[in-house]
Amino acid sequence: MEHYNMNLTLKVWRQKNKDDQGRFETLQAKNISSEMSFLEMFDVVNEELINEGKEPIAFDHDCREGICGMCSMHINGRAHGPWNGTTTCQLHMRAFKDGDTITVEPWRAGAFPVIKDLTVDRSAFDRIIEAGGYISVNTGNAQDANCLPVDKNKADLAFAAAACIGCGACVAACKNSSAMLFVSAKVSQLALLPQGQPERQTRALNMVAQMDKEGFGSCTNTGACEAECPKEISLTNIARLNREFIAAGFSSEK
Amino acid sequence: MKWSQFFNTSIGKKLLVGATGLFLCSFVIVHLAGNFQLLYNDEGKAFNAYAAFMGHNSLIQFIAWGLKIVILLHAFIALQLTFSNRAARPVKYAVNPGNQTSSWFSRQMAIMGSILLVFIVIHLVNFWGKFHYTEMPTRTYEGSIEPLKDLYALSYETFKNGWLVVLYVIGMIGLSFHLIHGFKSACQTFGLNHKKYNGLLSFIGIWVFGIAIPVGFAIIPVVIYFK
Repeated sequence: MEHYNMNLTLKVWRQKNKDDQGRFETLQAKNISSEMSFLEMFDVVNEELINEGKEPIAFDHDCREGICGMCSMHINGRAHGPWNGTTTCQLHMRAFKDGDTITVEPWRAGAFPVIKDLTVDRSAFDRIIEAGGYISVNTGNAQDANCLPVDKNKADLAFAAAACIGCGACVAACKNSSAMLFVSAKVSQLALLPQGQPERQTRALNMVAQMDKEGFGSCTNTGACEAECPKEISLTNIARLNREFIAAGFSSEK
Repeated sequence: MKWSQFFNTSIGKKLLVGATGLFLCSFVIVHLAGNFQLLYNDEGKAFNAYAAFMGHNSLIQFIAWGLKIVILLHAFIALQLTFSNRAARPVKYAVNPGNQTSSWFSRQMAIMGSILLVFIVIHLVNFWGKFHYTEMPTRTYEGSIEPLKDLYALSYETFKNGWLVVLYVIGMIGLSFHLIHGFKSACQTFGLNHKKYNGLLSFIGIWVFGIAIPVGFAIIPVVIYFK
């Protein structure tokens, strides 16, 4: 693909802290290479802001190779930008043309309060995991792996669900700010495997209860989460979570 | 988890919306089958006999009252969920993805449902209220034992009003758009999402409940108007 440079107009959400009202600020990004990632473009813009003695734009990032789940920008109305199955750090500037105006917003959800600019607090996800996204492992020697037969198909499904990096794009993309895709991936990856069986019922019940408590909306099956998920987590996981929750709710004795 | 807690969770509430919704789906099939008798050229003999049976059989009347409760329950819980879903995003986005990430139908469930609710109230006032709570003209057919309330004539009289015909067609567009997403969405809420059945469920949701049934309902007032 041919390399080109471009000048862009950025409309970026600026917010001093969680109590600040926040507003859009218009900035010029000049001489941006089509080979840069979206975050590198922000690095260039921030360098200039620092040189001008202004406050740089705060945004989350860590691995910059699409596996950590830290980056979180809502770009032109799309979580992680216009490319499917891609995190913001893996979005390249060749997705844009010279002269484009790009609107960048933080994830919008009551359960994800803005900390500063484009950075949001996603610790609600941590508390959902704490409520049941784990397995019990007894102390002592690990037993032989062959003692636990696992169906290959289920292993693959569990692996696909475990690809969830917890970035929160599902919540950001959902018109209801529902966390069902995240919770369903975390419930599925354990419910499908033998190691996940001991806490299977309490896990589904407790994680859903915590999800509601955090103030996420409910799922109306629009499929926007699946469309935006950088790890392409499937809606079949939400159906599985529903089955797990129904089975647990109807049969658990507690 | 106690039942009270279970049905107070987001999924529990959605199960109630889904179950009542699927029950209402089954109702529209029966209702349409009965209504088609309005188009027979028998001056209402079959339809009025059917209406008398539906209006007097105790089991049917029990289900009919249950149906009204189910409609209210469906609407109440769905609206409650809609408002709490809106509240889950206090600051809205400046730019929205529109139809890029989800279908238009899937995002209009509350609007279409509200149109339907208004329609159902008008529809009940037009026919059910008049049938049960007013003195209606009766008609005696050859071979029938007693005079029957002439709901057939009331239908023909009602649909001579062009505005009402338009209103009924709008109501059925609301039904169509509601069920194109609604049927399959309810299946997903019950955990039914399986390669082997998804094609069939989509077909039933879109072509049977989303198109065939609303078109069937809408045809009746239109045909009567032009008759």
